[in-house]
Amino acid sequence: MNRQIRQLAVGLMACYVVLFVALNYWQVGRKQELDARFDNTRAVLREFNKPRGPIVTSDGIVAAVSFPAAPGELYEFRREYPTGDLLSDVTGYFTFAFGSTQVEREYGDVLTGSTTEQQVRSLGDLLGGDVDAAGSVELALRHDAQSAAKFLLAGREGSITVIEPATGAIRAMYSNPTYDPNTFVNADFEVAQEIITELQEAPGNPLLAQAYQERYMPGSTFKVITTGIGLEEGVLTLDTVFPDERQWVPPQTTDPIQNYNGSLCGGDLATVFARSCNIPFAKTAVELGPEAMVSGTEAWGIDEELPIDLPRPAASTFGDTGSLDQELPLLAIRGFGQSETQMVPLHMAMVAGTVANGGRMMEPYAVEATYDSADRVLDRTTPELWKTPISPTTAAIETGLMIGVAERGTASCCIALNGGIPVAAKTGTAELGVPSNPDLSHAWIVAFAPADAPQYAVSVVLTNVQSTADVAATGGRLAGPIAKGMLDYLLTGPGAQPTPAAPSGSLPEGSGG
Amino acid sequence: MSQSVDIAEADPPVIDSPLARSRRTTELTLVVMAALITGASYTIAALGTNAEIPPGIAVFLAILMALLLFAHVMVRLVARGADGTLLPLAALLHGIGFVMITRLDDELAALQATWSLVAVGAFAATLLVVQRANDLARYSWLFFVAGAGLLMLPLVPGLGSTINGARIWVSLGPINFQPGEFAKLALAIFFASYLADRRELIAAHTWKVGPLHLPEPRYILPIILAWGFAVVMMVGQRDLGSSLLFFTLFVVMLWVATERIGYLLLGLVLFASAAYVAWTQFGHVQTRVDIWLDPWADPLDSGYQIIQSLYGLSDGGLTGTGLGRGNPGQVPEAQNDFIFSSIGEELGLVGASAVLMAYILLVGAGLRIALRTDRPFEKLLAVGLTTIVGIQGFIIIGGVIKVVPLTGITLPFVSYGGSSLVANYILLALLIRLSDSSARRLRELPDDPTPTERWKAWRLSRRIRRGQHIELGAAEQIGHGT
Repeated sequence: MNRQIRQLAVGLMACYVVLFVALNYWQVGRKQELDARFDNTRAVLREFNKPRGPIVTSDGIVAAVSFPAAPGELYEFRREYPTGDLLSDVTGYFTFAFGSTQVEREYGDVLTGSTTEQQVRSLGDLLGGDVDAAGSVELALRHDAQSAAKFLLAGREGSITVIEPATGAIRAMYSNPTYDPNTFVNADFEVAQEIITELQEAPGNPLLAQAYQERYMPGSTFKVITTGIGLEEGVLTLDTVFPDERQWVPPQTTDPIQNYNGSLCGGDLATVFARSCNIPFAKTAVELGPEAMVSGTEAWGIDEELPIDLPRPAASTFGDTGSLDQELPLLAIRGFGQSETQMVPLHMAMVAGTVANGGRMMEPYAVEATYDSADRVLDRTTPELWKTPISPTTAAIETGLMIGVAERGTASCCIALNGGIPVAAKTGTAELGVPSNPDLSHAWIVAFAPADAPQYAVSVVLTNVQSTADVAATGGRLAGPIAKGMLDYLLTGPGAQPTPAAPSGSLPEGSGG
Repeated sequence: MSQSVDIAEADPPVIDSPLARSRRTTELTLVVMAALITGASYTIAALGTNAEIPPGIAVFLAILMALLLFAHVMVRLVARGADGTLLPLAALLHGIGFVMITRLDDELAALQATWSLVAVGAFAATLLVVQRANDLARYSWLFFVAGAGLLMLPLVPGLGSTINGARIWVSLGPINFQPGEFAKLALAIFFASYLADRRELIAAHTWKVGPLHLPEPRYILPIILAWGFAVVMMVGQRDLGSSLLFFTLFVVMLWVATERIGYLLLGLVLFASAAYVAWTQFGHVQTRVDIWLDPWADPLDSGYQIIQSLYGLSDGGLTGTGLGRGNPGQVPEAQNDFIFSSIGEELGLVGASAVLMAYILLVGAGLRIALRTDRPFEKLLAVGLTTIVGIQGFIIIGGVIKVVPLTGITLPFVSYGGSSLVANYILLALLIRLSDSSARRLRELPDDPTPTERWKAWRLSRRIRRGQHIELGAAEQIGHGT
């Protein structure tokens, strides 16, 4: 029988060799093909079932957090957004089937603890018994400022952006329409799909963070840029005087350009800036010429994606600049922010911030710092200079011009701050020129305060507002009070900081920065 | 007590056996290693799933260690000549299986832990009750009746219950068990005994039918009955895996016993024809085969399980996702039939190959026992028990990695399931007993009498002292060995 037993041993051995070969076939040979199959959800599931750290505002309010799901739930963790729609423009959302956006997307590695640094650190922590490597993200945004912005906007379509001119830190960035990620992130596939599709097709695109992912015709707020270029190029000085005119015919055309409402407008630079005459800035743009104007706008960061630390930022545009020397009338119109000129609301806040910051345009940032699972700093945002479009002298001149707007000009109705804090501003009313609805416009204001020691720069835009026979939908009248409310809240209201904001916030003890 | 001293004096002086001692030392070392691997895996799996060291890790390790040491001490006490690798291999497979079950389902893990206690208890009890392997041969027909009865139990109305399409369960009050797991042991014992007695008669082929020389019908009939039985089970209980296992067991044992390859070929032909008929006649058999040939034909329903199993294996790749870091829960019944794909997913090709190696070593150790012993019954029993483990492992692992059509059957020592675990530990105890017996007969250690034999001898000596007449039969009972 021993011979048979040996044969049996060989036979059984052969069986297991077959299994071993088959195992190699599936786990190594066809691995790539199987992993890539569309119905193979392992890779996505693994990512989704990792613990995910919280996103917290700079004043300590949790904007996104994960909880272990109850047994029997679809996924191992529930992602919740306690602030609802308040911060969804910045946090974004994180879903299993529909990807992720904003901070959830850009900082996904930190939140799941997958960055190399976190992996290395958690390796050390393994001995200490803590291997939950999930990191956390601290926003530069303040929950209270964001709430104030939402309150001031009062449901109207548009956005409010508040930055610190000296650092570029975004302290508030809220826009309507928006959405609440809680409605779909933990839902079944079909339900989530339905809600997301509905949001994608909704008017105003609620899923976009309009404040940095959308651009609008800036109207007269653009004159800050045109004036800046003119002053830098020597085409304008404080002594430049423009004649009182109702209309002006630019070269290469017979169609005249008019001031707002066809009014008579002229005077020295301070006067035409405060009254927001159109013709002087059209003339300035033409006098500068296409080349200087285009390179000037580029110096302000136009035609470049904003260097924000969030995904898919929009770029402001001066329109098609290919044949502007053949289209001087267009150049003239764009010079005061009409026609194809389009600005991102955040960019306009940065423009005001540049004037406030002595001509230095800082890179905007929404994330203050990232932390590992043990709350040790992984990375703290250091303010970075992006552009220097104007000299400190020019900035000082423009500050004076903008104070004039607030004190005697188009914003004087509405921007005077509580406690007499000096403020600088520029209004804009972008006429959209829709033939069927000529009174439709965007109402803008950019401002910063205190004008003598700027702490905050604000841009407010109310989009698609309608003028009526009685009330003109102007930036000063509509957006002005919102900017005032925001600045009052931040400077003298409940949101006032005890000390002026330090350049990079307070450093936690022991951090390497 | 003085009487027993007399008997001890009559025996040759007890010689210390270095061979037995070194086997036990090997076993102890390997068992401790298996326990440490299990404990480490358990911790890592908990870290992987919950990112925390399991709170009861010390208690877990202590119980695990105590359980395995208890089993080891039992072997040391009553089977100290046995092969030292059997228990550690089983412990390792059991441990890995338990870690995977814990990682998949905490509640099942608690049940499995209880069953582990019962299984090790059964292991010890088997070693104590079966002190001489030959004792089993005496009750061969009892095992036949018991085995057949156990197999038919699930078909009894009121007792049997159908779970997942197979009627292989028996519900007695709160306890559910699969009698088939125990039936395979009983039938292996019966076959070993039956064939050991009649193997030459069957192999003689004295029945002439025309030009053919066939074995005497009265000798071969039980084998034919067994084959028929397997087919009936296939039909009645829809348990393809067990049918295949039983059938292979019978054919292999018949072949080894008669030393005639013809039986192996005949078995193959019979199996092929039975399988073909089943395939044409039964929808559920056809479905199994279709899934095996192309699971992607119906990826969301019938093919889902095997596809998810393959995705898991592929996701694991060479080194695995890490314990607790994969998604083996995607595979339905992962803790049961598909536990091997969970291992492949989280421990990778490396870990899965280690499990394959463990089975190969177990099979090797089992067949070495069969080779070493000189008694046909022990040879055949060792072959039968080893075949059960080896073939069962092949059928289910092959099923989940699409080598053979999937048939629901447990992975020995690894899968979740009380009946399976207890039955496999009894099987292990029997193999250890066989190994110990052969070692004693090979004079590798002194063949000292078993406690039962000591007791009988003591009774006998008492009767001698009282001047009672000694019957020859009684004296024979003391004799053993040659």
